[in-house]
Order: sequence, then C-alpha cells, then structure tokens
Amino acid sequence: MPETNMITTIGAEHYLVLSAILFSIGMAGVLLRRNLIVLLMSIELMLNAVNISFVTFSYYSGKVEGQIMVFFVMTIAAAEAAVGLALAVSIFKRFKEVNIRFFEHLKG
Amino acid sequence: MTADVFLFWFLALITVISGLAVVLMANPIYSALCLAMTMISVAAIFVTLQAYFLAGVQIIVYAGAVMVLFVMVLMLFDLKHELQAFTRGRATGALKIASVGILSGLIVGAVTIGLTIAGRSSDEVISAAAAGGVVDTTRGLSEALFLKNIFGFEALGVLLLVIAVGTVALSRSKGGTHARD
Repeated sequence: MPETNMITTIGAEHYLVLSAILFSIGMAGVLLRRNLIVLLMSIELMLNAVNISFVTFSYYSGKVEGQIMVFFVMTIAAAEAAVGLALAVSIFKRFKEVNIRFFEHLKG
Repeated sequence: MTADVFLFWFLALITVISGLAVVLMANPIYSALCLAMTMISVAAIFVTLQAYFLAGVQIIVYAGAVMVLFVMVLMLFDLKHELQAFTRGRATGALKIASVGILSGLIVGAVTIGLTIAGRSSDEVISAAAAGGVVDTTRGLSEALFLKNIFGFEALGVLLLVIAVGTVALSRSKGGTHARD
C-alpha cells in the first residue's frame, strides 16, 4: 500500500516537499505584495525553506556540512534584513508609505 | 502512526498555514507575528531532524533578533490604513501565481523522481542516518565550522562589519533617520 506508506513513513522527500511549498509561498509573497516590509518577510520565508532542505540533506547523509551552510544563510539573512529595513525607513521618511513603487525615486 | 510521524505532519501543517498567513494578511503586524510563528515551527522541524543547536540559533536569531527588528520598524511607521496590499492587475496576478505553481511543481517532481532514481527507499536512508550517526551534533558542528570552514567564518565576520557600517551610513545619509542637516 503505497499511500499509507507515504503517510506513515516520513522520509527525506517529505521534508524536501515541505521546503518547496514554503519556498513557493515566499516567492508568491515577493511577487504579489507591494509592501516593502512584507516583501522582506517573504524573503526570510524563502531563506527558511532553503535552511530546511539544507538540514534535511545534512541529516539524511550524516554529514554536518549542510548545517554549516545554514549558519551562513542565517547570517546573510540577518544582514539583508538590516539593510532592507534601513532602506524601508529612508523610503518611509520621504514618501510616508512603504511601497515598492517608490524605489525608483531613491536614485541620487 | 508513531509520535514523530504525527509531529512531522503537525509541524508541517503549522508551518504552511502560518507561511500562507504571512503572505495573505493585509496588516503587516499580523504578517510579522505569523512569520515569528513560522520561524518557531521551523526550529521545531530542526529538532525533529536532530539539529538541536541550529534550532536554538534559529529561535535566538530569527524569532528573537530579526523579528524584533521587523516589528520595531513596523512600529516606527504609521500603517493603519494600507490601501492596496497586493499588486494590481488580474492577468499579471494569475501569471505570477501560475509561475509559482510551475516552480513548486518542478521542485516536487524533481525531488520525487530523483529519490526514485537514486533507488534508496526511505527506510534505508533512515537506517543509514541512524548508523552514520548525527550524534554529538554540536561538537561536530563546531569542528567543521572552526577547522574546515574558518575562512568562510572570518568572511562572515567581515561581512557583518561592512553591513553594520553600511546601515549606519545609510541612516546618516540624506533622507535617513539620523540625517545630518
């Protein structure tokens, strides 16, 4: 019975599919939302999905290198959030709204 | 149905629902709270994958620092009336959702087909993982981080310094929060 086997036996593919679903949700957020902060949150969602797949491969191959990559991704995510939020604040101070269509006015 | 199977489905459900709520909530504060929920359930998923140290780091860094940063910036703004949270255009919206669906379908298909071609059933992989031993994770993690990947670690330190200086410079520039007059 493959169906019951798929439900009752959790393998690597379950975690990978969960990661793919989370990544797609984040991508939909980036494409569909207009608020800059929600866009940054969606990017964090995608990075988390990537982290899940790194940890899954690390667990199922018995190596720790994947978890090292998760450290790097977390650092990059924190740095990106800091810079993105600083940009959001500077946009909000000028236009009183956090919308991606104001990004074109940031030049110069 | 054993306990860890139930745990996986429970955590997957919470993760997907709160991830969807991040995208669908019109109010950014609710989005931020749902994102914190997602982070915490992702940390719990790390625990089920025996990455205990990473779970702790996930909660501290993401659910702690990054979420506080997000919520603080949201509190700075006055976003009571957010008109038009989503992008305009029905056709382009349908196109975007279709592209997201195609991407997720490609990934899921690649995962299932790839694991079938590799010919390793889940039970073998699980037993291999149990035999290979991801035990003593934190020690192995620190050895791999500080002995093998020390260059990347130092590069991350430099990156964080650059980011800190850049953020301060951005807030001191014209139009920033601490602009010099």
